[in-house]
Amino acid sequence: METVDLARLQFALTAGAHFLFVALTLGLATLVAVVQTRATLTGSPVHMRMTRFWGQLYIINYAMGIVTGLVMEFQLGLSWSGLTEYAGNVFGSALAIEALVAFFIESTFLGLWIFGWNKLNRWAHLALIWIVTLTAYASAFWIMIANGFLQNPVGHVVDGGTLRLVDFGAMVANPAAQVAFWHVMGGAMITGGFFMAGVSAYHLRKRTAEQDFFRKSLRLGIGVALPATFVTATFGGISFDTMQPTKIAAWVGSAERLAEAQAEMVARLGPGDYLPPVEWVRGGGLTMVILLVVMLLVAAASCVLMAFRPVVRGFRLWHWLLTAMIPVPFVTVIAGWIFREMGRQPWAVYGLLKTADAMSSVTETQMRFSIIAFASVFSVLILINYWLLARHARRGPDAVALGDRPIDTPSAPALSF
Amino acid sequence: MEIFILAFFALGYLVLAGADIGVGMTLPYLGRSGAERREVIAAIAPFFLGNEVWLVATAGVLAGLFPELEGELLAGNYSVVVVLLLGWIVRDMGLWLRGRVPGRRWAGFWDGAIVAGSWGLALSWGLLLSHVLLGIQGPVALLPALVVAALFATHGLTFAALRLRGVLRERAAVLSGGSGGPVEARTYTLTTGALVAVGVLAGLRLPLHPGTSGSLLVPVILVLIPLLVAAQGWVWWTFRHRVTGPSYL
Repeated sequence: METVDLARLQFALTAGAHFLFVALTLGLATLVAVVQTRATLTGSPVHMRMTRFWGQLYIINYAMGIVTGLVMEFQLGLSWSGLTEYAGNVFGSALAIEALVAFFIESTFLGLWIFGWNKLNRWAHLALIWIVTLTAYASAFWIMIANGFLQNPVGHVVDGGTLRLVDFGAMVANPAAQVAFWHVMGGAMITGGFFMAGVSAYHLRKRTAEQDFFRKSLRLGIGVALPATFVTATFGGISFDTMQPTKIAAWVGSAERLAEAQAEMVARLGPGDYLPPVEWVRGGGLTMVILLVVMLLVAAASCVLMAFRPVVRGFRLWHWLLTAMIPVPFVTVIAGWIFREMGRQPWAVYGLLKTADAMSSVTETQMRFSIIAFASVFSVLILINYWLLARHARRGPDAVALGDRPIDTPSAPALSF
Repeated sequence: MEIFILAFFALGYLVLAGADIGVGMTLPYLGRSGAERREVIAAIAPFFLGNEVWLVATAGVLAGLFPELEGELLAGNYSVVVVLLLGWIVRDMGLWLRGRVPGRRWAGFWDGAIVAGSWGLALSWGLLLSHVLLGIQGPVALLPALVVAALFATHGLTFAALRLRGVLRERAAVLSGGSGGPVEARTYTLTTGALVAVGVLAGLRLPLHPGTSGSLLVPVILVLIPLLVAAQGWVWWTFRHRVTGPSYL
């Protein structure tokens, strides 16, 4: 492999890993915020326990999202300084706003939410989870603005060999970004909803004593996942109007559409190969569409079934199916991401900067070192975190450490001053 | 103004996160048993998320306001930055995971990850700063890097002395020449000053040529800064008292 292929593989592995955790974070944060609102408003103990149980799983997942996200942010300057030097004055603004408006607040307040449990006023504590959730959405929004610019550059001029931002409004209103944002948000809600429903179904299948707890959770999970599949499908459909002609040609896959798209690009930009890898684009796109239909059917059927209490208690085949569905949204979002990003190739900034020209001047040895180091550390950590997620999900609400006692109260007689 | 914004976030990171990195480095010295180490970690637990985000913000400011420098600094120090990130990941995971499974071996392993990750972070900061500040790279740079790492460790101790109680506090105050609120605060101010000085001197050596989106971004960021500081202030205020027992981690 050439250095640029290694750099692409490294970016793909870290971005893909990051996306897996982020999708669940966005979905679960929303669900936890909804449950905590109910708990705070009504003082209902079951909702408070639900907040702690799902909140704990959310935090385990979130931690992995942070560390993969750090590598994402720094990797742009590390491996792709050709891109940041060329286009950083435009899409860098979206990244700066993301870091400052969204992530800074999200992270600060998440720490306060976790460690301030039983220490802060309950309304303040509720406000924190909502701020964390909304800033997580804002984070996704600004990242999609940056990505949307790379897919469909708008609001810039070419000035002295680099890009300059002239119309911030146009960059934000970019349809390639706006439509994708809602599509991705829908996908995240599906992921969170199926996760909550699948874990609940596991406990119901095991004849848990926590019937009320997991019935409510299952209903909430499906109740969010079903409308989310409609939102995702709708915006996914609209997004075909904002797509690059080469990506659409690869998706259709017919020789004449491909030749047509290639000829169009040659006429615009001169000789070159402008087609994305067709198998990846079609494979990713088809997987995404088929699995979305599967999720739609399962969510719709579950929505009917969950209305009947004896079914929720005893229909074990359905419980098993819902638990088996937990990984499906993850596979779907990765497939959709492959479709979108492979379909952009060979461009880093569509029509302006090729991926091969976007790289930093990094040696092959350096690239091999970093990809091996990141890949091995992340694969170990991802396995451990998924194992922990499963372990804590299986153990149920009684084993939750989050908020289980007032923090900072002496657990032993005060030490001498 | 762009330079002020970059300095604000970079120096904020060095001072705030420098303390939690330093506590991680000195964890085996401060906490001799599992229970002690858990209490030492409670000194930084509520802060480390809000501290490390200053570096995320610094990287965001680089991406938005100094895109050229971002590439030069990161790609130009590729391997050091990669090690820095690995240290950061390992340290954070140590903090998150140490309490997830009961048992001494599990906690001990992840405590090791906290210590190794913190040292990795501090030493790679040392290497990065040596390159920027003194222009030296390679094995020779380990010498100044060790000095920087020692500064992080000392800063961690002075912070721990302000947060802990009893015997843990006495251990942390070993370099302060005696414990007692005012002495501890003075020593913390001293290490803070040293870190700021290193940061400012390194900053002065950087080619600080802002990009072209300052006219848009600078006002936005200036409006945001008070909000961000207020958010952090809420955390500092909530956890202003000395640690009295283990926290969630």
